[in-house]
Amino acid sequence: MAAFPSGLTSQIAQQLKSTKSLEPTATWLAAFLRTQKSTTPLQALVSTALFRLLASDITQNLERTPSACLPPDVCNVNIKERSLSGPIVVQVLGIDDMSKSRWEQIEAIEALERGEGTKGREIIRLPSTEDEGSASTSVQKGGGPHKLLLQDPQGLRVYGIELKDVEGVALGMHIGCKLVLEGTIVARGILLLEPRTTSLLGGRIEHLHKAWKENRKRDLKAAIQDNSGSARAGN
Amino acid sequence: MAPNRILCVAEKPSIAKAVAQHLSGGHVNARNVPGNQYIKNYEFDFSFGQPWGSCSVTMTSVLGHLTEVEFPQNYRRWNSCAPAQLFEAPIETTVAKDKKPIADNITKQARYAKALFIWTDCDREGEHIGSEVRQAALEGNSRLQVKRARFSNTERAHIVRAAQNPVDLDDRQVTAVAARIEIDLRLGAAFTRYQTLTLQGMGGDLAEKLISYGQNLPLGLLWFYSELFPGSCQFPTLGFVVDRYFRVKNFIPEKFWSIKVDQMRDDVKVQFSWRRNRLFDRGSVIVIFERCLAARTARVSKMQKKPTSKWRPLPLTTVELQKLGSMYLRMDSQKVMKVAEDLYNKGWISYPRTETDQFDKGIDLRALVQKQAQDRDWGPHAQGLLNGNFKQPRTGRNNDQAHPPIHPVNYVSPGTLGQDDRKVYEFVVRRFLACCSEDAKGEMTTIEIEYGDETFFTNGLIVLQRNYLEVYPYERWESSQQLPNFVLHEVFEPTEANVTEGETTPPGYMTEPELIGLMDANGIGTDATMAEHISKIKDREYVQTQPVGGGGRGRVPGNSVQQFIPTTLGVALIEGYDNIGLDTSLGKPFLRKEMEAGMREVCAGTKSRNDFLHETLDRYRDAFVRIQQQVAMLRAVRDPYHVIIFFV
Repeated sequence: MAAFPSGLTSQIAQQLKSTKSLEPTATWLAAFLRTQKSTTPLQALVSTALFRLLASDITQNLERTPSACLPPDVCNVNIKERSLSGPIVVQVLGIDDMSKSRWEQIEAIEALERGEGTKGREIIRLPSTEDEGSASTSVQKGGGPHKLLLQDPQGLRVYGIELKDVEGVALGMHIGCKLVLEGTIVARGILLLEPRTTSLLGGRIEHLHKAWKENRKRDLKAAIQDNSGSARAGN
Repeated sequence: MAPNRILCVAEKPSIAKAVAQHLSGGHVNARNVPGNQYIKNYEFDFSFGQPWGSCSVTMTSVLGHLTEVEFPQNYRRWNSCAPAQLFEAPIETTVAKDKKPIADNITKQARYAKALFIWTDCDREGEHIGSEVRQAALEGNSRLQVKRARFSNTERAHIVRAAQNPVDLDDRQVTAVAARIEIDLRLGAAFTRYQTLTLQGMGGDLAEKLISYGQNLPLGLLWFYSELFPGSCQFPTLGFVVDRYFRVKNFIPEKFWSIKVDQMRDDVKVQFSWRRNRLFDRGSVIVIFERCLAARTARVSKMQKKPTSKWRPLPLTTVELQKLGSMYLRMDSQKVMKVAEDLYNKGWISYPRTETDQFDKGIDLRALVQKQAQDRDWGPHAQGLLNGNFKQPRTGRNNDQAHPPIHPVNYVSPGTLGQDDRKVYEFVVRRFLACCSEDAKGEMTTIEIEYGDETFFTNGLIVLQRNYLEVYPYERWESSQQLPNFVLHEVFEPTEANVTEGETTPPGYMTEPELIGLMDANGIGTDATMAEHISKIKDREYVQTQPVGGGGRGRVPGNSVQQFIPTTLGVALIEGYDNIGLDTSLGKPFLRKEMEAGMREVCAGTKSRNDFLHETLDRYRDAFVRIQQQVAMLRAVRDPYHVIIFFV
């Protein structure tokens, strides 16, 4: 350990910041380097550091400088609109498809549990009796828009909705996935996500992802009981 | 030299009579057959093609299957063997007792004949019945030549052609049906006996004890008649109904929100719908809506006018006839099939059991249209087709290689038919004429606007030519409100914008058309037997029917689409078996579907009868063993009046 050339730490930090907007704390970076061989080239170190960061909880290892965090009053519903300059890194704690009822999602999960959605066995399907010929009266089908529960490095939570489709945002996405917000608009305490202001870094937090998947059905059921139409995306 | 004698045998007396009438030209002697009041022997002369030439003919019939399959005497008593043995026990095929006089008649008539012509219906079951007829005839005359007439309706010219161009019996189909009969016997006997013995072993006292033990026992207890055991097709059929029932019962409504934008223009209120349709999150909708309002103006982002059409229907199959029968004619599938069969036997329509939705290129459709031109109601449309509007029907994806789509073969004045016959005949004719007509044509205008961050749209339809719809009143396609003029990129301030709130509603209980559709999609039963399975789950009181919309309030019974609600017994059966946790529960369609697929393979010659039999029996034997191992989950007790389930 400690056999790294001087300035290496800042080189890694610099690269993570400029390419991925990630600013790990000095403590984390030092701890990380202690686990690496001194002969490892810079690029490999950057890649490994990035991989570790994406697989971990950002509230544990990213700098909490005000500019890298959400404003403390981000959830204030009295503010009609403002823009976050960023870049701010957040992680996904929950996701929901607002175009689907919870019941619909529960039924889909249960069909999978019964093995009716798996390959190799016929899915029980409802053939449509609608006329095939008439021009489709186009109502958007398929997934989304999605609502995400997001968390910044200081642990602050906020909801974000897809104002326009953001690639990689889908019901199957990993919990703990990291997003970079830059110039994102906040309206009445909700982040309005669109490709221009939102980019995906990827990654996941294993234990959160597992728990989320396991509890999904229970959470949906609980959410139905409290049929208020809010607090959809997570816990 | 004495003329050749030919023996003809049809599947039922009505066909024997119709064929005899056509071939004889009306000069026919009918003789009674001792021992059966329905069967007649019709004697007449007819000139078959070479090598038979002019022949004296005896035309008779059977009444469906001649033989039955049973276990030998020593396996027949309930306690004679372990039920599982019935999967392997020997079986015997014998002529059914009540069919003996019919078989004897055939054996006797065959003695004097040179050849046997089989006129059973041209489907798998008919092929098998044909083989039974062949067996009976060969017993009387082993040198008999055996032929089969290929026909799909009882129209005169068609029958004469069939008589002169006989083919051979298809032994693959015979084999497939024989295998299916064997499987049904083994499964029915093994499962029924097992359940009955289980319930006898329990006795009433034990049952009462179980009740008093209350919630602590981890087993489900079912009370039902052992003879109510459903067959391997009725199980999944019932399963669909029960699944839907629970979907309705368990349903929880949820609120959703949407945004509507209105624009008054030229005294027309144009309503724009949100591209996102609806969202289940109020807060998000409000935020989005506020941003729409803040934008103040909307901009026309798309203006599109394009020709659109509503396609004429496909040629009619049995499954479609059954579905549409209950939708449009308000008849249940069994009734529709009965009426259609009657119309077929009388020679008005083609064979009503078919999977084919494409007309053969060789069939003279115009001649068939011509026959309908004399009708008061649809005649003018038929005439229009003959005068140049005729279109070759669309070609569907199915062809059973046995029968054409259902179509009228002769004209009959609807006034001379009974009410039900008239409805079904009219439907078959109108459907056929619709198939031969042009698609309906229209013009669809789509206007899309951008308002705030969101997109809204509206559609306007103008129906320009109704074409097939003229003769097919069962479908609707109407022009919508006329849209006023909008210009691309035009910016305007919407007259009104609102957030609307709605609530999801549960699905309806299973209706008959839906059930038929599901059975068809999952390969449960054949087009020929679906109606029977449905009627059986009704007869056995696994399900009850009620008119859609609650019923009761002064509705004429049988005058609306029926929906199925499972009875306590029906639910108990499915839950009982599902609780056993079979990977492929009997209540799910998978096992039966595989069996139907296997039969098709045997018919196609790609699988042997033995492979098919063993594979199928093995699968069900697995299920059987699982049930035995978990006997505690499923108990049956006889109780003549009540069906009670205990989840104790």
